[in-house]
Parts: sequence; C-alpha cells; structure tokens
Amino acid sequence: MALLQVEGVCKAFGSLKAVDEVSFTVAPGEIFGVAGPNGSGKSTLFNLITGIPFGPDRGRIVFDGIDIQGRPGHAIARLGLARTFQRETSFDGLTVFENVLIGSSYGKPDRPAAKARDAAAEAIEFVGLSAQSFGRLAGELSVFDRKCLMLATAIAMEPRMLLLDEPASSLTRPEIETSIGLIRRTAARGITIVLIEHVLTFLMSLSQHLLVLNQGRVLAAGDPAAVIADERVVEAYLGTRRAAA
Amino acid sequence: MMDPIKRNVRAPGRTPWQREAAGFMLGFAVLALLPFVFADSYSRHILIMAFIYAIVASNWDLSLGYGGVFNFGHLALFGIGVYAYALLTKLAGLDPWLALVASGVVATLAAVIVTIPILRLKGIYIILVTFGFAQLVMQVIISQSELTGGTQGIVRIPGLYLFDHNMVRDAKIGYFGIALGLLAASTIFLRMLVRSRTGASIVALRDNEEYAISRGVSLVRQRLITLAASAFFTGIAGAFYAAYQRNASIDVFGMSLATIVLSMVLLGGTGTIYGAIIASFVLTFFGEAMADFGAWRPMITAVLIIVVMLVYPSGLVGMIQAAWAGLTGRLKRPA
Repeated sequence: MALLQVEGVCKAFGSLKAVDEVSFTVAPGEIFGVAGPNGSGKSTLFNLITGIPFGPDRGRIVFDGIDIQGRPGHAIARLGLARTFQRETSFDGLTVFENVLIGSSYGKPDRPAAKARDAAAEAIEFVGLSAQSFGRLAGELSVFDRKCLMLATAIAMEPRMLLLDEPASSLTRPEIETSIGLIRRTAARGITIVLIEHVLTFLMSLSQHLLVLNQGRVLAAGDPAAVIADERVVEAYLGTRRAAA
Repeated sequence: MMDPIKRNVRAPGRTPWQREAAGFMLGFAVLALLPFVFADSYSRHILIMAFIYAIVASNWDLSLGYGGVFNFGHLALFGIGVYAYALLTKLAGLDPWLALVASGVVATLAAVIVTIPILRLKGIYIILVTFGFAQLVMQVIISQSELTGGTQGIVRIPGLYLFDHNMVRDAKIGYFGIALGLLAASTIFLRMLVRSRTGASIVALRDNEEYAISRGVSLVRQRLITLAASAFFTGIAGAFYAAYQRNASIDVFGMSLATIVLSMVLLGGTGTIYGAIIASFVLTFFGEAMADFGAWRPMITAVLIIVVMLVYPSGLVGMIQAAWAGLTGRLKRPA
C-alpha cells in the first residue's frame, strides 16, 4: 500500500493553474524525486500536501490511509508528515537545542518531556552539528548548519515521511556531497523521502522514482533514467532541438 | 555519543533557573526594603504606580516581544480589569479580593474573544483589529452610562482590605505590599511561561509561523495561550489600580497611557520581561524627577528614549548586558 497517494490535486491563483490535476503515489521506504523547471509547481505541491500555508482547491491526498486534505497543517505534521523549506529556515530567537525541541515535543505531543529532550539531542548529533552548538542561537549559524538544523527539527519528530524542498540550494559542492550522505542516512532510518531538487545529478543519485512537473502538470514519471531521457523532459529543461540545416 | 553531562542540561545556552531565581530573590528583597528608604506617602505612591506599570508592560512584552503579536488592545485589557473590579464590587457587591481575581479572569476572556479575529491576520491588520477592539470596549462603557457612569466614570469603589488594617494608613504600606506581591507573582508566572516548552513555541511562531506549524505547533492554540496569559495579570493590575485609586475612568483606554506603557516595553528591550519592568521603574521615576520641566518633560523623555534605542537597539537590557560584559571582561583581563 502506498504511504502517500495524491489524486487529481489542483491549485489555482486567479487564472494561473499552479498545480493542475497532479497524481502520483509514494511507496513506504523509497526516495521519490520531484523535478521541474522554475515555476513548475514543485514547492506549491509540497504546500498542498502539508496544508502549509494552504491546501488544494480540488483533489484527494491520502497519507498512511488517512485523508489529509483540509486538515490543519500542525495536525498533518503530527500524523508523521514533516517537511523542510527551500530557504534555510530557523527559529532565530531560540537556541539550536530549543529549535529541535520544538520538533521533538510538538511533532509528537504525547512524548514525555525527558524523551523529547533525548530525541532532540540525538537528532542534533545525527545531522552532524557539534555538541558546542546546542546553546547557540540558531540565527548565528551558517547557511549549511541552518539547513542541517532544519533537518534535525524534522527528524526529531520521528516522521514517517519527509518532504525535502531543494536541500542543495545555496550550498557548495562539498556541502552538497555531505547533504547527499545525510539524506541517505535519513532514509536508512526508515523515513520515506520525497525530494524536490533543481540539480538533476543530485536527484538522480538519490531517487528510486522520479516525477517531472512542468507548468503545474505531470510531464513524466517513473524510473529516473527513463524519465530524464524523455524528449519532453529534455525540452522542458533545455528547450527544443534546433532543426538540422 | 554525547557527553551524558551535556544531556542533563535542560536548557543549554540559557541562564540556569537557579541563577535566575537567585537574581529574582535579590531584586525582590531590594524592592521589599524600599519602604525603609521611602517612608513618605507620596514616594510610596510613585512606587506603587511603577509596580502597576511594570505588571502591565511586562505582560505586554509576552504578546508583543515574545509572541510578535502587535496587540494594540493590551491597555483595553487593563481597562477591562478596572471596570470589571468596579462593577463587581460596587454593583454586584462581590468581595474585593474575589473581584480582583475575577477581573483577571474577565480580562482573560476578553483576550480570548479578541484573539479569534486576529488568528489569520498579520502585522498592521492585527494593530487595526486590536486598536478597534480597545475603542469598541471604550464606546460600550460610555454608552452604558447607567452602569459605568459613562464619561463621568465610577467613584467610591471599594478598596482592598487586610483584616482591620486601614490600607492607606502608614503611608500606604498595605497597598505597597500587595502591589509588590502582584508584581512578583506576575513576573514568576511570565518567566516560568517563557522558559517553558510553551514559551519556546510562542517564540517559534513569532520567528517563522509556517515553519512552526510544520513542526506540529498549533497556531490557534498557542496564540490563544499567548494573549490569554498576557491578559490575566494585566486585568488584575487594572483591578488593583481601581481598588487603589478608588475610581474608574475611561482615561485608561486613551492613547496617552498606551503610549507610556509601550515606551516601557520598547525601552526595556522586547522579549525579556525584566526589561519592561526595569523601564517601568526608570520612566516612572524619571517622569517624577522631571516634574519641574512642565511641558518639556515628555519631549525630553522622548529624546532620551530615542538616544537609548539608537545606541542600544535591544533597550535597557542590552545596555545592562553590555555594561556587565565590559565589567567582567575588564576583571578577567590579565594585568
């Protein structure tokens, strides 16, 4: 049974159809890639799935057997569906430990306080932030550390599925390599991952299935190697071939 | 694996609660000893007013500084406390002490009501709605003049009592003690709240609403808690003010008082609680010291506030922290 099932989801802003009749399924345990040019509706799709800040106009989203469209964002998160954001995001007025404690305690509200603290400490260690960073204000961290911190706050929720929105953006090549390793280790914890990325090599190195969006619609889906060889995908990314003279 | 000692630290990077409690006790002891220095009725009146301002300003800091909610109806909650106490004691004949607590509850309920329309709003729209709420409350009070006295207000409101002690005798020592006790209770409540998990979630929503929601924080629940928690002691402070002054007037809904208290919140440094309290003392005493300057007084005060905020954007708390860091740095530096 699919862990996430998206059926005919639509979202329009006035006359602009940002997401138009998008359907796909994600199996438990896989890394599922979502690609597409700028403005193709990738991040909007994450917004619709998580209900943050808005849900779909039409369509059905089933997570772990539960219809989640129309539910408030925090309730969807507590079902075990976590996400990250494209820009490095943190609670700048809180320390690194407090940032992760938000995820570990509110993402799993039934967890006792002591266990929430342990889960927070473990998640910070997992993403590779040093013990010295625990008491630092999150706003003082570098871009890469803040991206790691955002991942730690999600992992501390012990989600079943994690939606990662362009984790490699604004990173250097060595940092991208570290991120790839971190995402693999996250998946190895049994967390299903849906990954949006601009950098196709990044997606290809991680994804077991690939979905390509263009202008809000599904352009191609399936095995990553087959999808990127699809003429329509090449055209969407690179434009049409010039006719031979 | 991490050092187990590190794991035992409950709030790394924050002042340990034992140290904060020691500082709090020291501050409380200093304030409690002030009547020995200021034995006259007028000085103690100024102290009592400073305590009332400190309660209102520090509770505003919870919603404005910690929560980032531009609640410009905070002084209306104070006014609701004033009128709730006046009506409960004078018309309903309720015991003044019960009315004091009930006024806090009424202000809390009012805060819950005003929170509902601002749940989906941000920034200037919250200011508009909360400011409108304050005006609405004032208009209701004016229009119900047979109960509230309208623009004339309510006089001869029953005061508080302590056994057979006359509260205004002995240079108002009774009211001084109650005001100090309320400030202490309010400060303990606020500091415990902001240091708690709930306090962290309030800051998380302020820093990034969507991110906080994506981590399971309920915007509705936490914003209700923020506004309701900031209202309880504000309402009680209003009730105490009514009991102390023994009159209620719609002046408490005016921009003048709101501006003074907002100055205290901003001058002290938002998101600290203590900053608003320190600034309440500073501005209250500074205002009294400048009494001879007449119309120049608010202008001089305004200029000084601007100068402090320009040099120390984090307010008086930032100034104190900088001075402390400079002092300890000098002490630690080898000769």
